[in-house]
Amino acid sequence: MEMTEARFVSVSQRRLVRVRRGLIQTLIVGLVVVLVAWLCLSVRSALAAKGIQFSFGYLWTAANLSLSEGWTVAFDGLRPVVEPFSSSDTNAEALVAGLSNSLKVAIAAIVFSTVFGTLVGIGRLSGNWLVRNLSFGLVECVRNTPLLIQIVFWYFAVVLKFPPANAASHWLGSLIASQAGVFLPGLTVVDDAQPIAWLLVIGAAASLLAAFLLRRRAAGLWLCVASVIAVVASVWLGFPVSVDLPVSTRFGATGGIALTPEFTAILLAIVVNSSAYVAEIVRGAIDAMPRGQWEAASALGLSRSSTLRDIILPQVFRVVLPSLGNRYISLTKDTSLGIAIGYPDLFNVYGTVSNQTGRNLEGVLIVILTYLILSWAISAGINIVIRRVNTLGGAR
Amino acid sequence: MGHQRRHQYRHSAGEHPRGCAMTAAGVTWLHRNLFAKPFDIALSLITIPLLAWVLYSLADWVFLVARWDVLFDSLRVLMIGIYPVDQLWRTWFAVAVLATLFGLGLGLCMRPMAASLITLAILSGAIGVAVEPVFGAFQAALTVGCGWLGLAACLVASRSAKAKRFALPIMLVALVALYLVLAPPGLESWGGLLLSVLLTLAASVLTLPLGILLAFGRQSRIASVRVLSTGYIEIMRSIPLILVVYWIWVVVPLLAPDATVPSFLRGLAGFTLFFAAYVAEYFRSGLQALPPGQVEAARSLGMSTWSVNVDIVLPQALRVVVPSLVGQILDIFNGATLVFIIGLTDFLRAGQMILADPQNSSRIYEIYVFLFAVYFTIGATITYASRRLEAFLARGSR
Repeated sequence: MEMTEARFVSVSQRRLVRVRRGLIQTLIVGLVVVLVAWLCLSVRSALAAKGIQFSFGYLWTAANLSLSEGWTVAFDGLRPVVEPFSSSDTNAEALVAGLSNSLKVAIAAIVFSTVFGTLVGIGRLSGNWLVRNLSFGLVECVRNTPLLIQIVFWYFAVVLKFPPANAASHWLGSLIASQAGVFLPGLTVVDDAQPIAWLLVIGAAASLLAAFLLRRRAAGLWLCVASVIAVVASVWLGFPVSVDLPVSTRFGATGGIALTPEFTAILLAIVVNSSAYVAEIVRGAIDAMPRGQWEAASALGLSRSSTLRDIILPQVFRVVLPSLGNRYISLTKDTSLGIAIGYPDLFNVYGTVSNQTGRNLEGVLIVILTYLILSWAISAGINIVIRRVNTLGGAR
Repeated sequence: MGHQRRHQYRHSAGEHPRGCAMTAAGVTWLHRNLFAKPFDIALSLITIPLLAWVLYSLADWVFLVARWDVLFDSLRVLMIGIYPVDQLWRTWFAVAVLATLFGLGLGLCMRPMAASLITLAILSGAIGVAVEPVFGAFQAALTVGCGWLGLAACLVASRSAKAKRFALPIMLVALVALYLVLAPPGLESWGGLLLSVLLTLAASVLTLPLGILLAFGRQSRIASVRVLSTGYIEIMRSIPLILVVYWIWVVVPLLAPDATVPSFLRGLAGFTLFFAAYVAEYFRSGLQALPPGQVEAARSLGMSTWSVNVDIVLPQALRVVVPSLVGQILDIFNGATLVFIIGLTDFLRAGQMILADPQNSSRIYEIYVFLFAVYFTIGATITYASRRLEAFLARGSR
């Protein structure tokens, strides 16, 4: 395009075009610079009128706020220590605690919504009329109503309507659901475990990871065998991790994994919401598979379920990855709605901190940067998986 | 779409004896759709009792337990918030304009069959009857009138191709009229469903020009424009809407310390700046769908860049992205619930405020079910329209 144009215009005309483009560039950059400078200056003068100066110093002063949950990182000398947030910590640590809460919801929701979404997506294509239409109805209900009303509904109309702690319902013997939150069986570290047992467990985990990352199948098989042997040996030596069942008390429960009502509600809401979108992505991808694949598989005598499991889903997985990545990014952004039910996520903590300190401008820069990094991290992670899956396909 | 296709396939593949008794057909249908294979039987045996139990408890609650009178008492707050009572005629004007717009939109994106028209007519009558005991005969008549106005607009739009050409100007005029009539009591008094709808309409219209500019900017040959547009789009798409809305609400008083800008306008600015980035991305996909030969041919005819973009590129790109843009109206409408963060009382917030009254605090399910139903009806209509448009445009391009 540029080449053909260039061939037919004279040198002076070309120079004119170049000068014009340069002028336009300068003009636009100048305009934006002036606009941004005007914005900054007027904001600064407005702040100066209130006696506030733009600085990040407030991050290192005590936060004086309490959060219902959240982990933060403190430094013991140079050694980082992860500990629960306490009100004497700094504002920076409060923001870290908020981020940890956002991440907690996001990671759990990514895992669960992928699983449930895939199931519902397959359900939408089921041969069973009832399952097909129920899945369709679920997806439509979720996608056509605001996420916020879903969150608010799960919190006020479901989780807060659980029985009070002293009459909590027990499911499957150990899952306790009450107004004080949901308590699940968890894993704890055995205090007097032998170091060698620890080494074996870590070794087993490392070899499983290596088996996943290594491209050679034989080596992967041996690594799996090795990890099984290591686990068996560590059990024989005294397994360093044990199951911790929650025990209900008058005001809630002790032991196990405790989920606060706010966390339970926002997790439920985001998982159900995202599952519907994941279901649509999965259904669209299955639909997009050429019909010939189904026909060929059925000609080979494969059943519908094994066609789906062995032929269609592995390909679908590859197709849906980019859309799934976008969904994960939206889901992470959606955690910011926790403020509606008082869940101390990053945005909520930012709001509280900037209300107390009047540091909205500084705070928003930090929060925007954090969300940008999260989004980029998710899309980079998805891109790595895409590249790996594609090389796997190429090697076959 | 997929299951429909398979559905037909299954029917044409299986033998379908004509003229068999109704019960036999029912049994065949049951066998084919619910009990075809052991796995299907298992699924059905799990889902049928579950579904029956859910439906039974729901019906039991709706007809025997729930007390719907709370809705009638609080309907006005839900619909228009704290709008002054002596100015209510203004909101009836708004309902009439919205009914016309709704009818126009519906008429433009589908061929109204007699059945759907009759349904709409019955619906407007039913709403009128439901409204009558609460607000009196005058308002009930107004409601029915507005419903019929929408139907008329629907018919006009569907019968004439001209309506399509006038759709955007009519929309703009209607919006200006809405603003002029509803603004006098103060933008602060807008609330309830009215606020959600007005915010959605205004943001949907305002995001278009900005989004189109950004999309062209992202593809511009001028490097600085390209970098700036790309940066703007990427940053906006990476942060949550609630953050944008809240932050603009905070910053505006700093930029204009002397003027008091209503929260509605500040929220609108946030929505426009945020969703423009999404419009830009839709448009980019539309621009990329254009065969490059079109632009090259236009250039070789000596058309200017402006003329190529406005006369050749834009109309075709618009056609491709219209379904996504209609879908985005739903996103904006659903996002409008977030304005609680800047103190506005939208539909959902109005419902929550009614529940905050101790007198109503036990009616939580009644209120939420109503909110869900309204959101779902509007959302499903928009989704349906966008799907119909997509099918219609796909048919046209073949």
